Amino acid sequence: MDYVIDLLIIGLSVGMVYALVALGISLIYSGLDIVHFAHGEIYMIGAFIGLVLFQKLALPYLPTLLLAIVLTGLLGIVLERLFYRRLTRAGGGYTVAGMGMIIAGFGMSIVLQNIAFLIWGAKPLPFPVPFGRPLEIGNLNLPMSYVWIVAAALALMFGLNLLLKKTRVGLAMRAVAYNKDIAYLSGVNVPMMISLIFGIGCALGAAAGVLIGPINYVQVLMGIGVLIKAFAAAVVGGFGSLPGAILGGLLVGVVESLGAGFVSGTYKDVYAFILLIIVLMLKPSGILGVDAKLKA
Amino acid sequence: MLEINDLVGGYGSVQILNGASLRVGRGQIVALLGGNGTGKSTLLKTTSGLLRPWSGSITFDGERIDGLRPDRIVRRGLVQVTQGKEAFPAMTVEENLSLGAHVERDRAKRAAGLERVYSYFPTLKEKRHQLSGTLSGGQLQMVCIGRGLMSSPRMIMFDEPSAALAPQVVLDIFRIIHRISRDGMTVLIVEQNVRMALLLAHYGYVIRDGLIHIEGPAERLLHDDNVRLSYLGGTVANREAQL
Repeated sequence: MDYVIDLLIIGLSVGMVYALVALGISLIYSGLDIVHFAHGEIYMIGAFIGLVLFQKLALPYLPTLLLAIVLTGLLGIVLERLFYRRLTRAGGGYTVAGMGMIIAGFGMSIVLQNIAFLIWGAKPLPFPVPFGRPLEIGNLNLPMSYVWIVAAALALMFGLNLLLKKTRVGLAMRAVAYNKDIAYLSGVNVPMMISLIFGIGCALGAAAGVLIGPINYVQVLMGIGVLIKAFAAAVVGGFGSLPGAILGGLLVGVVESLGAGFVSGTYKDVYAFILLIIVLMLKPSGILGVDAKLKA
Repeated sequence: MLEINDLVGGYGSVQILNGASLRVGRGQIVALLGGNGTGKSTLLKTTSGLLRPWSGSITFDGERIDGLRPDRIVRRGLVQVTQGKEAFPAMTVEENLSLGAHVERDRAKRAAGLERVYSYFPTLKEKRHQLSGTLSGGQLQMVCIGRGLMSSPRMIMFDEPSAALAPQVVLDIFRIIHRISRDGMTVLIVEQNVRMALLLAHYGYVIRDGLIHIEGPAERLLHDDNVRLSYLGGTVANREAQL
């Protein structure tokens, strides 16, 4: 039983990381109709930025996390404004530019990986944060790194929910996601909201990277594997659904952990996709999947 | 208040407007009439900024607004209530209305604006926490009009407010527009329901093939055979609406 609990703890923690990345993906998709294929690299760059802040600038972990989130969010906004926005020149917004965006995302992913190679090299780097003793609850020993992941992820998700449901800007973002014309006619600066939604999606991805950093190594190729699993998580939960992304992330994390623990660790990466196939066979729109919404 | 001169425009490469001109005086209700495909909606969308004008000028309260982004135009006090009762079904009535006040950051003023809209539409106040996807056609139209009012505009442009509504509901909506106008609003109303629109308006324009075809005081247009012959003028039975 203890073994199962350990696996669950790991699974839920890593699941929270997948959930954050999936949340960013679903947020960007539901808001902007963009499938962002460079999101794994955003996660990776977030982790590296965190590492630099932590080691070179010797910031404590929490400010590192916050600053890395903000900086990567800003990077996301710059990428959207400078590069992705140009694809919409022909009119119709990102919806019409769909295929172009997919290809641009792949291209951006290669560019970002290579920039990271040039700056930090190919060697996996450790992210040693002196967390201290594990947290003891009952007879559970929770490593602080996992506690941080869950606490930070919950805080971010709670914050996002608050933003979207309770603020003027959040309402505007929801409007932009559903019908840009009406948002425009309600006085919303739609281009700015688009950038903001994208930036927040990237910020969430970066948070995941900084949170997982201390557990794994930080390396340039870390985004690739996570991207497809996060996509799988988002699809499992219902692509475009925010609660779905969280649920999907947690499911993938837990299934992966239990699979590795009970079936085989060698094939760890496969379990997420087995889950995906099963869910899609039973409910193609994903567990919390929503019907197609009005776009553009 | 609003002056449109020789407006040319359309969608993508399809030209719809061929040099339309019209004027709406401060405090007036002006009706823009015409059949399907004549350019009524295109003119409105080009004025509100959803479409870019190809040539011509649009002046609102003395300042050029052609080519501006739609939210900029809303900030200047010109608002469009679109065709089709487009609301956000997953948002409550109150959220839909609050969206209309996006330009107003001050919480107190937003709340005051909300109360003012509720005074026009008590039904909406009752249903304020209901999801707008559950509302009837007439209630949705009220939400859309209410949302337009939330930014305290000086002029509202209505795109076919009577469309797909039952005759009694149409009367209710038109009474509300009349009341809004009496309270000082300048109104441009695009309609296929010729009779109702001309009974409501002070002045009218008829658009055909992207150009203004006929114009004149509403009273005169009401009895003009040219107007009556040219259009599928929907009527509210034979009732003289008491506005």
